[in-house]
Amino acid sequence: METNRLFDEYYENSYIQGGTACCPGCGGPLFWRMTLEALGPKTIIYGDGPCAYCAIRNIKLPNFGIHFSFVADGSTGILAALAAKGREDITVVSSGGDGAIGDISFGKVSAAAERNENMIQICVDNEAYMNTGIQKSGLTPFGAWTTTTPLGKEAPKKEIPLIIAQHRVPYVATTSVAYPRDLQAKMKKASGIQGFKYLHTVIPCPTGWRFDPAKSVEVVRLGVETWVWPLYEIEDGVLRLTLKPKQRPVEDYLKAQNRFRHLSDDQIKFIQSETDTRRKRLLENDGKRIIL
Amino acid sequence: MSQIVRAFRPTVDKDKCVKCGNCQTYCPEGTAMLRDGEEVVFDYRFCKGCGVCANECPVDAISMVKEA
Amino acid sequence: MSFTRMMEGNEAAAWGARLSRAEVVPAYPITPQTEVISHIATFIAEGKMKAQYIKVEGEHTAMAAAVGASVAGARVFTASASQGIAYMEEALWMPPGRRLPIVMCMVNRALAPIGGLRPDHNDSLMQRDNGWIQLYCENSQEVLDTIIMAYRIGEDRRVYLPVAPCYDGYFVSATATPTTVPDQAEVDEFLPPYVHEMYSLMPESYRPRPFEMNIAKARYEVQQAHERAKAVIEEVDVEYSKRFGRGYDGLLEEYACDDVDAVLMTMGSMTGTARDVVDEMQADGKKIGLLKLRGFRPFPTEELQGLAKRFHAIGVVDRNTSYGSAGGGIVSMEVARALYPLEDRPLLLNFHVGLGGSDVTMRQIGYMADKTLEAVETGRVEKAVDWVELVDLGEVM
Repeated sequence: METNRLFDEYYENSYIQGGTACCPGCGGPLFWRMTLEALGPKTIIYGDGPCAYCAIRNIKLPNFGIHFSFVADGSTGILAALAAKGREDITVVSSGGDGAIGDISFGKVSAAAERNENMIQICVDNEAYMNTGIQKSGLTPFGAWTTTTPLGKEAPKKEIPLIIAQHRVPYVATTSVAYPRDLQAKMKKASGIQGFKYLHTVIPCPTGWRFDPAKSVEVVRLGVETWVWPLYEIEDGVLRLTLKPKQRPVEDYLKAQNRFRHLSDDQIKFIQSETDTRRKRLLENDGKRIIL
Repeated sequence: MSQIVRAFRPTVDKDKCVKCGNCQTYCPEGTAMLRDGEEVVFDYRFCKGCGVCANECPVDAISMVKEA
Repeated sequence: MSFTRMMEGNEAAAWGARLSRAEVVPAYPITPQTEVISHIATFIAEGKMKAQYIKVEGEHTAMAAAVGASVAGARVFTASASQGIAYMEEALWMPPGRRLPIVMCMVNRALAPIGGLRPDHNDSLMQRDNGWIQLYCENSQEVLDTIIMAYRIGEDRRVYLPVAPCYDGYFVSATATPTTVPDQAEVDEFLPPYVHEMYSLMPESYRPRPFEMNIAKARYEVQQAHERAKAVIEEVDVEYSKRFGRGYDGLLEEYACDDVDAVLMTMGSMTGTARDVVDEMQADGKKIGLLKLRGFRPFPTEELQGLAKRFHAIGVVDRNTSYGSAGGGIVSMEVARALYPLEDRPLLLNFHVGLGGSDVTMRQIGYMADKTLEAVETGRVEKAVDWVELVDLGEVM
């Protein structure tokens, strides 16, 4: 069939096969399609993580994974092998989820950053351990329902991009699949920099965040517009906001996801004030060196 | 490859379509394509019927129709 | 140029890695392994060894980095001990299952609690089920030679398994004995560069790892690799011996077993002491021989069954504990299983000694030999499992 052939060619050229085992509406495959287009075929992907693997398995470029407790470890080894072989022409991408990078592999990523390993370290953040049935991780936001925080998560979300930036790595950025040009520009920029690059991306999860899959991109767009998910980069310690949207009330973002359905008005006010403070601090420091 | 089972499938109203390419940009699976900048086509072998294409279409040219 | 001097086991290991032209070395220090990686760091800094040295932040990472580097086509060397081996346990299952010929020295050290820094064998024996080849080395020379052979064995296309040269902390790692370092050019002839037929991660030649959906089939393949490894280990030993003048009899060495009633079986550094004791006892007319178990995995079942006709009792010395086991230590249970099918089985005695790295004395070895000979005389085993250190032999320890 002509359309079939057309699509088969498209999958080859975008380096990822359509029809992943991910949930309908998952932002994971969407993220990879955008990213691989930006990075090109001379790339080796090291990545694992239960949800992520459903997408990574469909990638046609060389890829390899161990377990999510080994984020950045295998890629460190791959980089060493490439150096031993004199292959400087290959981009190494390492990927891990929020449960991996926020919790079980936190030390690993910190160590790779300290060694300034020449990899693009990605965090695909769907804000909980989703593949095991929605359990809280260190990157689950305050107030979110999960099966292990049925009354809402008590602690705030770990601020991984800033923590990594303080390791004095050359490049840190946040991205969102709702802003593909921003995402791809950052990926391209990262691939041209030597040293440890960290890109943190929000991955909308209809299953765990509890919303209609059709709203997947819309929800993360709201996240950016409400300043819950600010888009910025930190290059050699200097902060730059890559988007300064007109601020919408966080309620728009929270009400779009049933995982926040139980929040009281006071809690929503609290989240709003926290978000306001972050926005203010980001704007104040836009263009300034923000690491010690 | 996983077996794709879906409840709804996307269909496009060609008269409404303004050929912006949003559906292709935002389809999580890459199964929506604006072919040659002219016509929107779907790969029903792998489309999951999530509805993101319909939601992102600025002119509501895509409808999610119940699978037979 | 080949040269000989006094050398500690850890330095010998570093030489083994250097001569094998290891390309990637993930390094994390732990007593009693530390000098292995510090010697390698010095070699690299002096420009005498060309390897990527990854200063990882923990052993769990070290093994994962080793796996990544091996899949990407590099020859990998690393080393650890005790708690470090335990910490990397999750990652240790990867290389055998994925058929990656990594070489890792396990510098034996007792595991906590009820352990310490001194050697016993639980840390490496704990890996018995996951598919690592394990070769136990008696002295610095054997460590160096075994590392070079390990790459030939592991990278053989009939094998593709990781290999762990194991040696006792302190007694081998930090004890200097005369060691001959072979000539680099000769080692190069013996050991060709690493090429993996099953994998490539390079974009221009990407070959994903072979994936067998049927788990039983996939595991059986690893088992068969171990079966084939037995012959490969013997072959490599013979070739090494021809080329370098030193051989180790593959998986199992018999020492002074020509006309014996009983044998002791030892593993690791205590073998050296046992040789002396057996010599003395034979001079006294006692018909006791020695078997050195070099290869714990793959276990030399057939070879042991063949030898068993020549003695009536075997005293297996276990420098390890297996609480609640079917009977005694880990090696004795392997021996029991190997000998079980024989119609005419030798009597089996099991001795626990040297636990936590306490010194295995000549008197203790003499005691174990005497007990084994006694069993031949009486035709029965008085004590199936004997914790020798709890017996007062009149020594000041």
